[in-house]
Amino acid sequence: MKTPKLAYVVEDDRITAAITELIAKKDLRCRTVKTFGNGQLAFDQLAITVQSGGAEVPDLILLDLNMPLMDGWEFLDALGELTLSKQVCVFILTSSIHPDDMAKATHYQQVKGYFSKPLDKPNVSRMQTLLKEVGGYQYAGR
Amino acid sequence: MPISFPTTFKPFEQHSPAVDDFLQNKLLDGLWYWNLLDPAEAWVNAKYWQTLGYGPEELPTAPEAWRAPLHPDDLAEAQQSAEACLHEPDRPFEQLLRATHRNGSTVWLHCRGIVLRNDTNTATWLLSALFDVSHEKQAQVQADELAEHYSQILSNQSVYIVKTDTEGNYTFANEYFYERFGYAEDILGTSSLLSIVEKDRAKCIEAVMQCFAQPEVRHQVVLRKLAMDNTVKSNHWELKGILDEQGRLLEILCVGYDVTLLVENLQKQQHLLDVTSQQNLRLQNFAYIISHNIRSHSANLTSLVQLLTEAKNKAQKSMFLQMLTTSTEQLADTIVNLNDIVTINSNVNKPKTVRALRTEIDSTLEVLSVLIRQHHIGVEVDVPPTLEVTVVPAYLDSILLNLISNAIKYRSLNRPAFIRLHAHAEPGMVVLMVADNGRGIDLVKNRAKLFGMYKTFHDNEDARGVGLFITKNQVEAMMGTITVESQVDVGTTFTIHFNENA
Repeated sequence: MKTPKLAYVVEDDRITAAITELIAKKDLRCRTVKTFGNGQLAFDQLAITVQSGGAEVPDLILLDLNMPLMDGWEFLDALGELTLSKQVCVFILTSSIHPDDMAKATHYQQVKGYFSKPLDKPNVSRMQTLLKEVGGYQYAGR
Repeated sequence: MPISFPTTFKPFEQHSPAVDDFLQNKLLDGLWYWNLLDPAEAWVNAKYWQTLGYGPEELPTAPEAWRAPLHPDDLAEAQQSAEACLHEPDRPFEQLLRATHRNGSTVWLHCRGIVLRNDTNTATWLLSALFDVSHEKQAQVQADELAEHYSQILSNQSVYIVKTDTEGNYTFANEYFYERFGYAEDILGTSSLLSIVEKDRAKCIEAVMQCFAQPEVRHQVVLRKLAMDNTVKSNHWELKGILDEQGRLLEILCVGYDVTLLVENLQKQQHLLDVTSQQNLRLQNFAYIISHNIRSHSANLTSLVQLLTEAKNKAQKSMFLQMLTTSTEQLADTIVNLNDIVTINSNVNKPKTVRALRTEIDSTLEVLSVLIRQHHIGVEVDVPPTLEVTVVPAYLDSILLNLISNAIKYRSLNRPAFIRLHAHAEPGMVVLMVADNGRGIDLVKNRAKLFGMYKTFHDNEDARGVGLFITKNQVEAMMGTITVESQVDVGTTFTIHFNENA
């Protein structure tokens, strides 16, 4: 998975969402990026996708933690309950540098990386590397 | 003045020399033979001198040498006694005399005498037997000194000494115990257990049980006790079960001292520690909140500036510039919010004043009256007009405004809305409940987040997610607590405990 076909940006702050979407397209070479204002909206879309055959399951989810209605953790819990046709790579993208949050993130198998904002050059290149690794595993598994 | 020094005394001559030797040298520590008609004339035997440290070859021979070792006061007293004996034939002669030993130490001589009369029944001689009682005297002096020493220590120490029988009734209590607890009357025979504060009685009984189980061993316990002036004093006790000769528990000896100050200081320290660790936790939490909130904006600014420099055309440039403007405005808002919270947290010791809760509620309802009328909200206030709370007035206003306006904002649109305010006093606190029949919050999912910062639970565009966070901070800054009960589509009740002791 060198270039994710579809990526979700789950982020309640509109400016951050817009910036993340731009970077995902430009630097991570995501062909399509869908933005959701909170975890609930993203999850609802994902659930519909699964129900309708799972053609549009995203390859990558860039997930904020602190959001209204359904926050990042709740989204991850709900995601774990879904049966997806392929593995989704989740990157947490947050302003939190709380050690508890970083520790908690390691307990989710789908979470492949934890990134503190801003999404600057070093963060982007780490994302690119991680995506290559995840992609490698996926191809190996086929 | 002719002085005769008889080598032997006439009455002894009637007995064998062995009896003479026994009486003069073994039994007695000296003999003294004194002419009552001429007090200057006297005779002492060799044993007298030996008792005072002189060897057989060193006996003083000067006529009045016998007087020298005797204490002048005691000698004068002896003389007076002897004269008295002259006039009172039956008067016994008995006296304690101090003499100086050859080595300078004091020898105590117990002197018992008889008056001898001549044929015409005139008292002529006083015969006295001397016993060296220095050892006994010394032991007694030492015992007296020791007793004096200990009694001084005890009377100068703030120590309670109490004894009780096996039923726990007082059988002895020292003066200090009476004095400290202000007992005007005899407490002997009354129950020691009942004088201890109720909460500590189980502890006391346990310590006494240990005295039964392990007698003659000290068992320690701290007990609180009510003094006559109604102050409660904490006392450290050592209880010991004392056995009688048959090995049965006879009584319980209790030695104690006051530790009220110590216990109070310990409690103060513990309280301080609790407050400090609570504050520390809040500050740490707050530091993460600040970091998170500032970072999220600064991250946007960094990214936007980067994007702006890389922008390919005018349209993109103006879009990023617009976003940059919004972002800086948001950062400014955030800083204002954070400043509000910092102010609350840094003013933990803001002066509190007493306010009538009812008056404060009424004025808050007045502020919100337009909204209340506009949305046809029923308001019920069940708060006694006399009920007072000790608060930071600005915080109370802010708390009431936030809770009541929340109840209005999140009212149900499906039923006539009401807000119910109830308050009552409890020991050391005032409890305020703000209940509504509004949209409610799913607490199973959200309890942990409810009072967090930037948490919103409904799709309200104007929800900033700081209200309850600030409310909680204000309540806690006044050492109170806030809790919530809620059910989706049924309603929400916030309960605040205002701390009246802190």
